[in-house]
Amino acid sequence: MTLSDLTVIAPFAAVVVLAALVILADIVKPGNRHLALGVALAGLVVVGLLTLWTGQTPGTAFGGMYKVDSLTTFLDVIFVAIVALSCLFAPDYLEPRGLPIAEFAAILVFALGGAMLVAASADLLVLFLGLELMVIPGYMLAGYHKRDALSTEGAVKYFLLGSFSSAIFLFGLAYVWGLTGSTRIADVAARVGEIVAGQAILSPGLAMGLAFLTAGVAFKMAAVPFHYWTPDAYQGSPTPVTGYLSVGPKVGAFAVVLRVFAEALLPLRQEWLIVIFVLAALTMTLGNLVALTQDNVKRMLAYSSIAHTGYMMVGLAAYAAGIMQGLEGLLFYGAAYAFMNLGAFAVIAALQKRPGVTSRLETFAGLGRREPALGILMVLFLLSLTGIPPTAGFFAKAYVILAAVQAGGWLTVLAVIAVLNAAAAAFYYLRVIVYMYMRDPVGEPAPVAHGALLRLGLAVTAVMTVILGLFPGLLLPSVSAAAQAIGVALR
Amino acid sequence: MDISSFPILSLIIFLPLAGAFVIAIIPRRNVAAIRGTALLFALATWVASLWLVLGFLPARDVVASAAGSFQFVEAVDWIPLFGIQYKLGADGLSVALVVLTTTLSWISILASFSPIRERVKEYMISFLVLEVGMLGVFLALDLFLFYIFWEVVLVPMYLIIGIWGGANRIYATIKFVLYTLVGSLLMLVAILATAYTFQAATGSWAGAFDLEKLAGAGFDGTFQLFAFAAFALAFAIKVPMFPFHTWLPDAHVEAPTAGSVILAGVLLKLGAYGFIRFAIPLFPHGAHVFAPLLIALSVIAIIYGAIVALVQPDLKKLIAYSSVSHMGFVTLGIFIFQAQGLQGAILQMVNHGLITGALFLLVGVIYERTHDRTLAKMGGLGAVTPVYSAAFGFFVFASVGLPGLAGFVGEFLVFQGAFAFNPWVGVAITFVMIFAAAYLLWMVQRMCFGPVSEFLAGLGHHLTDMRPVEILTLAPLGALTVILGLYPGLVLDLIAGPVKAVLAAVDPAVAMSIGR
Repeated sequence: MTLSDLTVIAPFAAVVVLAALVILADIVKPGNRHLALGVALAGLVVVGLLTLWTGQTPGTAFGGMYKVDSLTTFLDVIFVAIVALSCLFAPDYLEPRGLPIAEFAAILVFALGGAMLVAASADLLVLFLGLELMVIPGYMLAGYHKRDALSTEGAVKYFLLGSFSSAIFLFGLAYVWGLTGSTRIADVAARVGEIVAGQAILSPGLAMGLAFLTAGVAFKMAAVPFHYWTPDAYQGSPTPVTGYLSVGPKVGAFAVVLRVFAEALLPLRQEWLIVIFVLAALTMTLGNLVALTQDNVKRMLAYSSIAHTGYMMVGLAAYAAGIMQGLEGLLFYGAAYAFMNLGAFAVIAALQKRPGVTSRLETFAGLGRREPALGILMVLFLLSLTGIPPTAGFFAKAYVILAAVQAGGWLTVLAVIAVLNAAAAAFYYLRVIVYMYMRDPVGEPAPVAHGALLRLGLAVTAVMTVILGLFPGLLLPSVSAAAQAIGVALR
Repeated sequence: MDISSFPILSLIIFLPLAGAFVIAIIPRRNVAAIRGTALLFALATWVASLWLVLGFLPARDVVASAAGSFQFVEAVDWIPLFGIQYKLGADGLSVALVVLTTTLSWISILASFSPIRERVKEYMISFLVLEVGMLGVFLALDLFLFYIFWEVVLVPMYLIIGIWGGANRIYATIKFVLYTLVGSLLMLVAILATAYTFQAATGSWAGAFDLEKLAGAGFDGTFQLFAFAAFALAFAIKVPMFPFHTWLPDAHVEAPTAGSVILAGVLLKLGAYGFIRFAIPLFPHGAHVFAPLLIALSVIAIIYGAIVALVQPDLKKLIAYSSVSHMGFVTLGIFIFQAQGLQGAILQMVNHGLITGALFLLVGVIYERTHDRTLAKMGGLGAVTPVYSAAFGFFVFASVGLPGLAGFVGEFLVFQGAFAFNPWVGVAITFVMIFAAAYLLWMVQRMCFGPVSEFLAGLGHHLTDMRPVEILTLAPLGALTVILGLYPGLVLDLIAGPVKAVLAAVDPAVAMSIGR
C-alpha cells in the first residue's frame, strides 16, 4: 500500500473509522443520542467533503482493485446524502419507541461503507464484498425493532431471500471468472468481448453466468418477479429504516448493475437488453397495479418503489441499445428518486412520531388542515413521484423516456408502457392527497412537535426535489461525466 | 417605458405566482387580506395583459415565421444540454386568449369571495397557480416549457374540484386528472421523439424543442402520423372531443362556480389552442391524414352534445353538454383548413369563454341561494328576481347565437367554412342550431317564466336578486359579448396573422408532399 493508495481510499477509510467512532461514542456515553448522532452527522459531512476532494483526481488503488472515477464520486455523494438524511429523519420516530439511535447510525454508516465499496470496485470480488457489506446492515436494520412481530417477519424474509440471491449472484460471478480467467472488470470486459466476437449464439457457460447474475441483481433491486421480499420488509421495518431501504440498497443495486452489466458484461449488451426490457416492463406494470390496491401508505410506497425500479431500468435498456442518455437518465433518476422518496418516508415517519399511529391511509385524513406544512411537503413529494413538472421526478422520467425514444424501435414501446404506467400511478399517489385534503380527520389527534433535525432533513429533500426539477442543468454535467466514466461510444 | 424591451410576457405569467407567494405568508385567519391580495394580483395581471394588447397591435403583422408571427420573444437557455429554452412569445392568437384568461381569472376570484368560505388561503393560492399555468401554455414557444405549463394547470384544478367541489367531487376530480394525464403523457413521448428526430437530422440539440425551428422542419410522413396522433389525443381529451368528453360533465357538476367558469372558459381552449399552435404546424401531413376523422368526431360532438343537453335535469350538466357541442364547432372550424372556418373557430373560442363563463357564474348565483341546480324545481324566477332573469336570458341568447351578440359571428363563420368544405356537413350542423335553440330556450322558459315554483316560493326572502358584486362580475362579460357581437373585427384583426400562418402550414401542396 502506498500513500497514493491512501488518498484514493480516503473516503472509504473515513467511513469505516466513522462507524467505529459512532460505536465508541455510544460506549463512552451510553444512551446519549446527541453525541452519537452528532458524531455521525459531522463525520458524514467530512466523508462527503473527502469524496468530493478525491473525486477531483481519479485514480486506482491496491493494484487496480479499487477505482475512483466520476461515477464513483457521483454515486458516493448520493449514498452519503441518503445516509445523512436517514440519520436526520430517525430520532423523531425511534426515540418515542425506545429504539437505540447510536446503533441505527452506526449500522447505517457501515452500510454506507459497503455501498461506496461497490461504487469504487474495479474487481468483481471487491464488488461482491461491498455488496454484502451494504446489504447485511440492511437485514439488521429491518429487524431492528425486535419486539415488533412485523419487523421480525420482514427481516427474516429479507435476510433469507437476500442471502439466497447473494449466493446466486456469486455463482454467476464464478461462471464469469471460469470463462474469462479474471475477476478484474476491465479484463473481464475484454475477454468477454473476445469470446463473443464472431459468435452467433451465446456459449452455454456465459448464458448461465448471465442468467445467475441477472437473477441475483434483480433480487437486490426488487425487480419483478424477484420482488416478493420488498413489501413485507418495507412495511415491517421502522419507517426511517424503510425510507433508507427503499433508496440506499436500491441505488446500491443499480451501482452493482452499472459495474457488472454496463461495464464488465458490456459486450453482451444485446443479450441482456432483452432481459432488461422484459424485466422493466413487468416491474413497472406489476409494481403499479399492485400499488393501486394498497391501503397502507408504507406498503403502497413499497410497491411504488418497485415501479420506480422499472422506470430506471428503461434507462438501462436504452443504454444497452447504445444510447448514452440512457445511462445518464438512470443516474439522474437515482438522484431524484433518492430525495423524493426519502422525503415521502420522512413525512410518514413524522406522522408516526407518537407510537401506535399506523401508516394506513386514514392516518393521512385531514393532514392538510392539521399540519399544513407537512401536507404541502407530502404533496410535493407525491407529485414528484407521479412525475408532474416542475419537480425532480418529472425531469427524471422525461430523461429516461427521451433515451428510450432515441433508441427507437421496441424501446419506443417501452417508453409508451412507462408513461401509461405513470398515468396509472397518478391514481394511487393522488389518493393520498385526497385523504390529506379532501377528507375530514378521524378523531382529533393531538398535534405533535417535530424535531429540528427532521425539519432540516425535510427542507433539504424538498429543496432538492424542486431544484432538480427547475434547474436540472445543475446536475447534468456531473451526470454525464459519471456516465462517460463507464460508458463508451456504442454505436 | 418602451414595452418591446420589457419582459412583459414573463411579467404576465409570473405576477399571479408572486401573488400566490404573498398570500402564502398572510396568516390564514386574515381572510379579507387574502381575498384582497388575490384580487389585486389578478387585476394587476389583467392590466398587464391589456398593456400587452396595446403594445402588440402596432406591429401585429411584421414579424413572421413558419409557426406564426411572434412578438416580445424572450429566450433564455434553460437546459442547454438538450437545447431546452425558456422561450416565450405572443402572436394574435396568444394575445386574445391571454386577455380572455386574465379577464376570467379576476372575475372568478371576485365571484369566489362569497361562496368560498373554507380554506380561503389554499383556494386563492390554487387559483393563482392555475392562472400561471394557463398563461404559460398560451405564451410558451418551447415544447418542453409548454408541456410543463400544461401539467401545471392540472394540479390546482385537481385541488379546486377535489376540495371545494360538490358531493361527488373526488370521483370527478380523479377522473379529470387521469383522463388528462393519459393524453398528456403520450404527448410527452411525442414531444421527446420530435426533439430527438430533429436532433438526429441536424446533429445538434440546439433548437430541438423550439417551436419556431420545428414548425416547417418537415418531418418524415410516418413519424408525423404517430406524433400527430399523440398530440391530438392529448388535445382532444382537453377540448374535449367526442368520445373523450365524459370527464367534462362530471367535472363541471362537481366543481365550485369559479372552477366551472375557468374550466369552460379557459381550460377547454387549451386543447383547441394546442391543435392550432402545436399539432398542426408541427405535423401538417399528420393533420391532413387525421382531419377527416377529427371532422367527423366534431360533427358528432356538435349533434350529440346538443341532443344530450336537451334531456339534462341539472343546470350545470346542461351547460356542460352545450360546451361539448360548442367546442365541436371549434374543432370543426380548425380541421376544415379554410380561412373562414379557422377564424370562426378562434372567435368561437373567445366567445364561448365569455358566454359560457357567464352562464356558469349565473348558475352559481342561483345555486348560492337555493343550494340546488335541478331545473324541475325552478320556475317563475322572472317575477322574483328580474335582474337575474334578464341577465340569464341575455347570455342564453348570446349562446344560442342571436345576431348582434358574440356567439353569432363565430358560429356563422364556421357555417360558412363548413358549407364551402362540404355542403352536407354544413346542412347537418345548421340543423343542430334548432336543437341548440330548443334546449337553451326551454331552459330559460323553465327557469324564468311561468308561476313561481313551490321550491322557490318556500325559500321566501332568501331568494334575493343579484347583489352589486355579482352584477360587477357579469358586466364585463356582457359588455364584451355585445362589443364582439357588433365588432368582431377586434379579434379577427388580431388573429389574421396566425390564421394565415396555420393555413400556409397546412397548404395541401406542401403538407401532403412530405408523405409521398
